[in-house]
Amino acid sequence: MIEAKGISKCYTIKKRMNFFRSEKQIVCAVKKLDLSINEGEIVGLLGLNGAGKTTTIKMLSTLLNPTEGQITVDGDDAVKDAMKVKKKINMIAGGERMLYWRLTGEENLRYFGKLYQLSGLQLEKRIAYLLDQVGLSDSKDVPVELYSKGMKQRLQIARGLINDPKYLFLDEPTLGLDAPVAKQLRGLVKDLASQENKGILLTSHYLEEVEELCDRVYIIEKGTIILHDTPEKIIASVVKNYHLMIETSSLSVALQNKIKKELVNCTIQFTDLTDSTSIHIDAPFDPTSFFINICMNEAISILKLELKRPRLEDAILTLAKEKSA
Amino acid sequence: MKMLTILHAEMVKSHRHNFHNKLIYFSLLLWPALLFVTAYYSFKPFNLTDSSPLSAYMNVDQITMFLLTGYLGYIFFWSLVQSAWNMSYERQAGTLELIFLTPANRLMIMFARAAGNLLEAVWLFTAFILLVLVVTGKAADIYWTHVPLALLLLSVSAIVWGGFLNIVFLFSRDAGILFTIFEEPMQFFSGVRIPVLAFPIWGKAIAYLFPLTYVLEIFRDLVLNGKNFTQMIGQYSLLLTIILLLCISSVFLLKKAETHAKETGNMVLY
Repeated sequence: MIEAKGISKCYTIKKRMNFFRSEKQIVCAVKKLDLSINEGEIVGLLGLNGAGKTTTIKMLSTLLNPTEGQITVDGDDAVKDAMKVKKKINMIAGGERMLYWRLTGEENLRYFGKLYQLSGLQLEKRIAYLLDQVGLSDSKDVPVELYSKGMKQRLQIARGLINDPKYLFLDEPTLGLDAPVAKQLRGLVKDLASQENKGILLTSHYLEEVEELCDRVYIIEKGTIILHDTPEKIIASVVKNYHLMIETSSLSVALQNKIKKELVNCTIQFTDLTDSTSIHIDAPFDPTSFFINICMNEAISILKLELKRPRLEDAILTLAKEKSA
Repeated sequence: MKMLTILHAEMVKSHRHNFHNKLIYFSLLLWPALLFVTAYYSFKPFNLTDSSPLSAYMNVDQITMFLLTGYLGYIFFWSLVQSAWNMSYERQAGTLELIFLTPANRLMIMFARAAGNLLEAVWLFTAFILLVLVVTGKAADIYWTHVPLALLLLSVSAIVWGGFLNIVFLFSRDAGILFTIFEEPMQFFSGVRIPVLAFPIWGKAIAYLFPLTYVLEIFRDLVLNGKNFTQMIGQYSLLLTIILLLCISSVFLLKKAETHAKETGNMVLY
């Protein structure tokens, strides 16, 4: 398990006052953050730009030392036993950097594999397996500079898996990818956790992706965790706005009044059409079962039913609004 | 074994990355050959007899050999300045951070990078020198039995120098200034074209700041003057001291650079 206890990261930055004078300032990107990642689990790290996501990932991956607090990976200290920890982790960032463009896909993997002390048949087998996994076997001998953005990102994934890490940090892995490639990568990430038991930390601006993949989510704001739970619970605790659109056979005015009376704290709008009634409800809970019961009891036909559930995106937007208010 | 794996990985990567275009082999020969020819013909208009002022510091009959050995040493050292300068590419591409994400021995990577680049950068000019020796009939002036030792000393010194520079470039993204410092001044003061003894005191002081100066003196004494081990103990000791100092500084600076990067996150800045 990866465990971060009370980690902070503060930088000293120089603020230019004028041509000759600058002033030193201490800026803390992450403050007293607690976080854990278990094997086989996908954990999301969400926040607006500058919230401290990348700094957190860099501390967890031993590239940055925390100013305070402790990070352990399976009991090993990430600062004191950094070399031991590095064998168990890897990081994949979105975008087209972090590859040698003049080298082929296979040569890139071979170089990084050797830095992880893999060699001979073991390395060649691993390279072939990973290229196959990310669908680049046919392009393995092509220089990376000729790869498409999606192919480069897939190679990045293969590079991040070259040492078969127990824990993987994914920093915006689907950044700028088109929908089919992003979907393919999401499938791969899911399999890595469920089939290969890898612990994964994921940051992404695509909140549907986080909602689909993550078992737990940390939401950070200005370096501090403001919420931590499963995506469902976060949505339920932050956003209470279900929208139901239901079209039934014509409802009597009496029944409409009965519904209005029973559904307190809800906004209900009835529109009588030629042979039917259209109902729009905004409720702080899911009103679907209530309507289905009414329709069954009153022998009313349901012609159309559409429920819009709140999403993680709504939760983040609500939180952001609350914070800025 | 681990060291060899990293060495091999770095050599292959450097080869594929820096020597991807076959035209580069022309520049590897053409540029140093032009440097040599330019230097040779710039001496031509001057008095190169025994009455020449230069004759007080060197055998003027050996001017061709002096320049050839000078430029050979210079190419060994200069190619590694260029290689270190390429560290900025690793910084920009984000691969430098990935290298430091691995558990590989950093010192080994830095020196392997130098070794990998050296071989590729110098073999063509070395072959050119052999050709010049044959064509000009100067091959007989060489103490051939001393050549392997001289080349070994030159290579080891250059690799240590290259590893040290790689680390300096790792430490700071603004180390590009070294490129300017080491180009013309190193060529001029290290005794590549003019014997160091011909410089005034201040010039000599600058000359001995460059490790190439010590290596060239030994190289020429071995290959051109045929001096034996006992005659050169002082020079060997001095070179060994310089190499040790560079190695110790490399270890110290590397630790400092990585610690600094972990504190400031500057490894991704470019």
